[in-house]
Amino acid sequence: MSSPVPQFRSRVPRIAEVAVERARLTVVPRRRVRAARMPFVALVSMVLLGGVVGLLLFNTSMQQASFAATALDGQATRLAAREQLLEMELDRLRNPQRIAAAAQRLGMVQACTPAFLTLGTGEITGQPCAADPAGRFPIWPAQPQKPAVLDPAPNVVEVAATPVISGDTDHGAAGNAARGGRKNQQPQQPQQPQNQR
Amino acid sequence: MRQPRTPRGSRRGAPQVRLRLGFVVIAMVLSVFGARLVQLQGVDPNSYAAMAAAEGLVEVDLPAERGDILDRNGEPLADSVDGLMVVANPEMTAERAPELARFLYRELDVDYAATLNRLREEGSLFEYIARRVPSTLATEVVEAAEQAGFEGLDTRRDPLRDYPAGDVAANLVGFLGTDEPLAGLERTFDARLSGTDGSARYEVGAGKRIPLGENTVTKPVDGQDLQTTIDLDLQWYAQRVLRQTVESSGGSSGFAVVMDSRTGELLAVADHPTFDANLPTEAPKEDLGSRTMQDVYEPGSVEKVLTLSSLLDLGVLSPRTQIVVPPSLQREDSPIGDWFDHGTIRLTLAGVLAKSSNIGTVLAADRFEAGQLHDYLTRFGLGRTTDIGVRGETEGLLPPANAWTHQMQDRIAFGQSLSVNGVQMTAAVNTIANDGVRVSPSLIRGSATTDDGAMVGTDATTEHRVISARAAHQTMLMMERVVDERVGVAPGAAVPGYRVAGKTGTAQRVGAECGCYDGTFTVSFAGFAPADDPRFTVYVVVQDPTNGGGGGSIAGPAFAKIMSYALKRYAVPPTGTQPSRLPVEW
Repeated sequence: MSSPVPQFRSRVPRIAEVAVERARLTVVPRRRVRAARMPFVALVSMVLLGGVVGLLLFNTSMQQASFAATALDGQATRLAAREQLLEMELDRLRNPQRIAAAAQRLGMVQACTPAFLTLGTGEITGQPCAADPAGRFPIWPAQPQKPAVLDPAPNVVEVAATPVISGDTDHGAAGNAARGGRKNQQPQQPQQPQNQR
Repeated sequence: MRQPRTPRGSRRGAPQVRLRLGFVVIAMVLSVFGARLVQLQGVDPNSYAAMAAAEGLVEVDLPAERGDILDRNGEPLADSVDGLMVVANPEMTAERAPELARFLYRELDVDYAATLNRLREEGSLFEYIARRVPSTLATEVVEAAEQAGFEGLDTRRDPLRDYPAGDVAANLVGFLGTDEPLAGLERTFDARLSGTDGSARYEVGAGKRIPLGENTVTKPVDGQDLQTTIDLDLQWYAQRVLRQTVESSGGSSGFAVVMDSRTGELLAVADHPTFDANLPTEAPKEDLGSRTMQDVYEPGSVEKVLTLSSLLDLGVLSPRTQIVVPPSLQREDSPIGDWFDHGTIRLTLAGVLAKSSNIGTVLAADRFEAGQLHDYLTRFGLGRTTDIGVRGETEGLLPPANAWTHQMQDRIAFGQSLSVNGVQMTAAVNTIANDGVRVSPSLIRGSATTDDGAMVGTDATTEHRVISARAAHQTMLMMERVVDERVGVAPGAAVPGYRVAGKTGTAQRVGAECGCYDGTFTVSFAGFAPADDPRFTVYVVVQDPTNGGGGGSIAGPAFAKIMSYALKRYAVPPTGTQPSRLPVEW
């Protein structure tokens, strides 16, 4: 506002006096501008509502994921247990004792000493021998000897042959078969070979 | 509180008054909080903590899975299965007990009468119905029971240890009790097998985990598997042959060891009598351990192999050395005799071994200087444990060098007055098979730490030379004469087509009661094949046979069967060379 060269003022002709006069700063009366309230309130409500609903949806989806996780967890545990059980059954089926018993039921016997056949030359090393059915290998423990009281010598009575009435025998045989049938189905039952004792 | 810049009237009153009022209100609120805090934390904090915990907070154990015990091919000798126990609440089950007991008998194969009693037990709220049921089965049965309208059944965790092969290798593997391992490898390597249990804490609502609730999980560390050097099938076969041998000879017990000649790995360690590892309580207590490792016995004539090979190593004798064997030999105060009656016979050193002459061995052993035999036997591994990882192993009994008398040395030379365990003796004979180098036996593949901190396993194998390769070869040639049909004492131990080297043993047994030789015997056979390129060393011992047989007639055929099976199983062809023809007489 203070002019650096005031001495010129008198010499310079006053130009654009009116304009200068007009451009001079004055205090403007305060004007209140009222922004429209509705959009703002609407925006805030939208944000809040959106937030709440979003949170709710998010929470719900997390809950659902949690339910699914719990269910799948349970399923995984059940399947793992099932796998273990099947694995156990498989191992029991692979038990050499069971396989040997099954093989013996098929009439198989332990092979004798090994011999080698060289393919191509046809040369045989070792002493080949035929498997001997008489040498069945006892895979079950021997049954304990019964004391004499429980194992009496057979009482042999020789009688003269008489004609047999067919009806009676048939009935008796059928009864025995029915009673004995159940025992034979149990594979774990030690089946003693005849030559055991 | 900051004063607003533009004063807008005096509706809010004087600042000083407002400030004070505010402080008073804040102080009151804070003191209420403080009082509540003291009430919560000071008066009875635990009850509130418990209430909070009860409010949906669940803590569960996450059990670690126990490691399996495997054979050398990865077949399980022991494995773990997720198991459950089925329990009942008699207050709820008593009403329909007979039907439910019938149902459980059918589904779980439990004893009907005992179950019925448990289901009706008065005044009880908890009864075991079945323990260690595979969890799939237990869950199915309980669900089926619920569907059939039965109430009061429940399941709890109860881990199941299964031994799929039953009695195969049971004496080594051991078994688990209700809570802890009780015997064998299960107990020795429990730290490795058992792992560390974990735990989880989380909040639940309506049976489901709350996603944002508290959630802490400590993961369980599963136990590691333990792989043994045992071959399941060979072990099974050895056990069956051994059982047949012991039963047919009327023996009280026995064992058989199969060792890989080169690596010292034990392919089979069979004991008889044995037990079913799934039902350990049904077997007598003395059968639960490993007799091979835990019982001492005098090796008898098998020890002559060690004596004579030591003499050959010293170079003082050769297989053709000629020895005059008198009918009886008086040493100090007692006579030494042979197992067979003879006049004065002329045997070579090979003949002494082939005929198993005590007198010949004692005469040969006179060439030892003091202490030499003791040193050799120590280097063969006698008198100290083999440390293969079997509990309670005996170190045998080798008298200390300073306690040796001349008389004692005579007896030790043919296998009396010293005691060994089965694996010790197998490893000693295997030294001959392995060109004079003793390789330490091992039962565990890789390495594992026992419960007393020792590292065992194939990684810890040590080797040291005991006798020269030449002496080992000469000994092998002499041992081949033992199974010779015409000159040997054990033709039954021959495996047709193969060269077999071996030695019989028939030793007097020391009775437990009298501490003296009680007239019973230990018969044995140790050998290896193919003799000129050994793959397996097999040792069979039968205690107290009552059919009058000796090492050659009882243990020899068992040796031949087991050896033949091992050669077949590992496809070892015969070497095709001629067996030794060392002269036995002169």
